[in-house]
Amino acid sequence: MIRDITIGQYYATESIIHKLDPRVKVVCTFAYIISLFCFNQLSGYIIAALFFWCITKLSKVPFKFIVRGIKPILFMLVFTALLNLFWTSGEHILIKYGVITITAEGVKRTIFMALRLVFLIIGSSLMTLATTPNQLTDAIEKLLRPLNKLKVPVHEVAMMMSIALRFIPILVEETDKIMKAQLARGADFESGNIFHRIKSMAPIIIPLFVSAARRATDLALAMDARCYNGGEGRTKMKPLKYKKQDIIAYLIMLLYITVIIIAGKYLPF
Amino acid sequence: MSIKLQNVNFIYGIGTGKEKQALKNINIEINNGEFIGLAGHTGSGKSTLVQLLNGLERATGGEIFYNGKNIYDKSYNMRNLRSKVGLVFQYPEHQLFETTVINDVQFGPKNLGLPQLEVELRSFNALKMAGIDDSLLDVSPFALSGGQKRRVAIAGVLAMQPEVLVLDEPAAGLDPAGRDEILGLLKKLHDENNTTIILVSHSMEDIAAYVDRLLVMNQGEIVLDGSPEKVFQFEKELEKIGLGIPQPAKVIHQLKEAGADIKGTPVTVSESVESIYKWLKET
Repeated sequence: MIRDITIGQYYATESIIHKLDPRVKVVCTFAYIISLFCFNQLSGYIIAALFFWCITKLSKVPFKFIVRGIKPILFMLVFTALLNLFWTSGEHILIKYGVITITAEGVKRTIFMALRLVFLIIGSSLMTLATTPNQLTDAIEKLLRPLNKLKVPVHEVAMMMSIALRFIPILVEETDKIMKAQLARGADFESGNIFHRIKSMAPIIIPLFVSAARRATDLALAMDARCYNGGEGRTKMKPLKYKKQDIIAYLIMLLYITVIIIAGKYLPF
Repeated sequence: MSIKLQNVNFIYGIGTGKEKQALKNINIEINNGEFIGLAGHTGSGKSTLVQLLNGLERATGGEIFYNGKNIYDKSYNMRNLRSKVGLVFQYPEHQLFETTVINDVQFGPKNLGLPQLEVELRSFNALKMAGIDDSLLDVSPFALSGGQKRRVAIAGVLAMQPEVLVLDEPAAGLDPAGRDEILGLLKKLHDENNTTIILVSHSMEDIAAYVDRLLVMNQGEIVLDGSPEKVFQFEKELEKIGLGIPQPAKVIHQLKEAGADIKGTPVTVSESVESIYKWLKET
């Protein structure tokens, strides 16, 4: 039933991309997203698409999985596209019907905007597909470490993130179990109007909260029993270390950025 | 009145590339009034099987008949089936949610659409049967002890007065006294109301004394089916699938192997003691 939900959608396989240091993947994804805003012509999109296609091939993640990331934001995508389409003023008017005006500039902008958003989403979903949630939090912790100097509790925030991620599948499973148990007691979650249905969720929500609180207490106790006291002086079982492949990845990324900036400046179309 | 499973198969995760066959060609018939033990190692498919019995999961192949009617027929009323086949999950106390004990127990019968008087009557009876004191009726279920919570949760299913009661590890995590209390309650229910009971457990020791029929599962298949006495003859096979037989039965087996002429196949401690005495007297 509800167990089909996947969050933190890691796709397990062996590939060069999977083996990269998670910091490389986070930084490069950010760089890629920023690079999408460095050009405004077709050639830039072609380069960005080609680059993305190469990385996808290297990562061995089926394209199907990557595209799946677009689904949840499809509504937003269409909405922004429509806004752009109708509210861009320009000289070349294509259609004019009452208050609706569609200009050539608007069409161009709509297509580019939508493409940009799509690349943005699939770019970051490729990162989450090729990196385990734990690696991701590790990378974020390490990358944000300088903020420690500003008294930001980086380690604690990262720890909270990884605990939260770790608990998602557990709570999903728990929800599934509670739902089934209440169904077995004749509960009905499907019929009735919206208020009735919200009310009928109480037999699921309350036990779920109780169990989440219980698990949290247990976890806190277990951490205490292992003398956990925050990030200070804490070592890692698998410390992150840059290897040769990571340096190469950074260099490739740098090359891509250079190409895209030059293309954005000098290519005519 | 019976439940009949015909060539039932169940595969998890169809279409995800990570398919796992949890049940393979299950063919069993459960008759009215039986007290059945369903034993098997963790992951053998017991929990999946019991969820099929009241339609919470749907078999990916095969048919299930309840009282002769195919539950996968389009016209079959699944909710009605769920009121007839009561299922108590593992750790049922985790599903309590109401403000008072009595309200929580009433949840099931209320969902059946019974008149209020009937709902209350059934709930009081169920709580009484589960051994919950009247003074606890208006207490929050979250304020009870672990064993009490478990009994309230079981009462919540009993109040629906199912014809078949399925319990998944009802004694898990309870102390010996709590375990005996719960199992004793089920025995009483079986003897007095003629309720069909299916008791799921990985511990042969716990259920051997109570059940009339024992089903043993391994890797999605039913490998042994018969009275506990008969099933415990297959000591080697049971050990191979990681179950083993209760200690008293084991002692008797070893004595027999050593040449002792013990009659019968005792299952519980007291039965074994008795037959050993008998044998000692005779020799």
